[in-house]
Amino acid sequence: MATTSRNIKVFYKQKKNTTTSTEKKSTKNPSHKDAAATFGSDVTQATALASHGGSLDLKDDFDEEEKVLAQFDMNMAYGPCLGISRLARWERAQRMGLNPPEEIESLLKGGKVRLECLFEGRV
Amino acid sequence: MEVESPEQLQRKQTTYLSFGENFEIQKEVYRGQQYSQIYFARLHWMRALLYSLVPNWKSHLPVCTILGLEEGTECIIVGTLYKHMKLKPCILDEYSKERSVAPLVKPHNFMNQDDYLVLEDESGRVKLGGTVLSPSVYVTGVVVALHGKETSAGVFFVEDVLEAGLPPQIERPLKSREDKYVVLVSGLSIGSSSSNPLQFQLLVDHITGHLGDEEEQGLVAEIVHLVIAGNSVEISRGILSGQNLASKDQSRLSEPFKELDIQLTQIAASLPLDIMPGSSDPANFSLPQQPLNRCLFPGSATFNTFRSCTNPHCFELDNIRFLGTSGQNIDDLTKYSEAKDKLDFLERTLRWRHLAPTAPNTLGCYPFTDRDPFLIDSCPDVYFVGNQEKYGTRLVKGSEGQSVRLISIPRFCETGVAVLLNMRNLECHALTFGTQFSS
Repeated sequence: MATTSRNIKVFYKQKKNTTTSTEKKSTKNPSHKDAAATFGSDVTQATALASHGGSLDLKDDFDEEEKVLAQFDMNMAYGPCLGISRLARWERAQRMGLNPPEEIESLLKGGKVRLECLFEGRV
Repeated sequence: MEVESPEQLQRKQTTYLSFGENFEIQKEVYRGQQYSQIYFARLHWMRALLYSLVPNWKSHLPVCTILGLEEGTECIIVGTLYKHMKLKPCILDEYSKERSVAPLVKPHNFMNQDDYLVLEDESGRVKLGGTVLSPSVYVTGVVVALHGKETSAGVFFVEDVLEAGLPPQIERPLKSREDKYVVLVSGLSIGSSSSNPLQFQLLVDHITGHLGDEEEQGLVAEIVHLVIAGNSVEISRGILSGQNLASKDQSRLSEPFKELDIQLTQIAASLPLDIMPGSSDPANFSLPQQPLNRCLFPGSATFNTFRSCTNPHCFELDNIRFLGTSGQNIDDLTKYSEAKDKLDFLERTLRWRHLAPTAPNTLGCYPFTDRDPFLIDSCPDVYFVGNQEKYGTRLVKGSEGQSVRLISIPRFCETGVAVLLNMRNLECHALTFGTQFSS
């Protein structure tokens, strides 16, 4: 069932021309990197109230690595992404024999990216 | 002056292996996950299994996902069943604006003729039609493969069903064994108004060899193990009202445990015993229930023959595999499906290869993320369920030569019946204790 392709570009949809604006990064809520189960509603309010310059987009930062990881989160073959950290989900997919791409593991262990899934803290 | 009998009867011994690590949750860490993870693990494991069985069933048909269904094309789909039930109690009913005349007394069984089944996988869900798949037999959470085609109404018309069937069984060496017996009992309910202490004392005296003549004691010496399948104590609801207990009520809370511990000490001094928690015992509510704490049994826990076990419980005695629960899984099936006999439910769970398919939908369950511990991957030789209304037993044969003894253990406080199983040939019969004196 899972795409066994090692080529990460398979996950990509058409790329839009996005202007990477640094002010968007500053509105990113700093509590994202903290402990996992944030049930606090203040997080969702902060992201909703912050202006995104017109285009409301699920991804609030636009760097390439985050896009790749978001695609990994969205891929149904590895199961639901909520409630489990990205690395734990990757390891579970590995144990189940689904052959998740190894780039994801190295990105997650590299440390500059969000360890929790796209929707963590928002739903 | 008593005359010592010249020879001491020795009780027979067995080797014991526990497979309870699967059901323990000490290592689990809760991270706020929901139940989608356990359903994913269940679907993944069962789907891989069903895909391997489909070629032997109907090799000429294509297998597709639910989103990939095309109208009119015959194919095979695999997914988790969901049963939509009108009468199933919903928490939202309490908040609904229209206060319809809801019955105050909940029915025992929530089935209705309008119930329908839906098949779901990660890509989508499809309503199921046709008469082959009966909503009265199946429940939410069972993973099956279906052969059929999608109709123009968007409903998948089912022509045939493939269940996983009995799991593979490890061959037991058929050397001629000697008679060794296991006693299974459940529903002692010490502390309830219906329990008779004399009846339980009779059971204890019988098993420990204090009753009967030498011939009787010789038979009893062949009993090698005792399994108590849940509901050993019952605390009256009146005490557990949330108020602080007066000192006289505190003793009422601990009395049942003291009495149970005294009896278990007598038993543990004589033979190995396993005690499982049940729905009325002080263990966690959701399955898998964790072993009862050893501090509840200050006298008996000092013996190494005393074992506090999980519910469900899986163990091996002399290479015979036992698997069983204290009854919550079968009781839940009784509420959401129907069968002529409780043993039918037991057999169905074995054929579905899942101990508790309704967990976590209607049966409390821990939200595991990477596995579903209730999946049965190796066929047991003895499969029991405790706390049922009456004693029943059946031998089930599988398509690959598996053979399982199903046992329904009745509640001891109501019936006075324990079950005696002979490990040599897996035959069992009831052991009834009565304290009525006929006039």
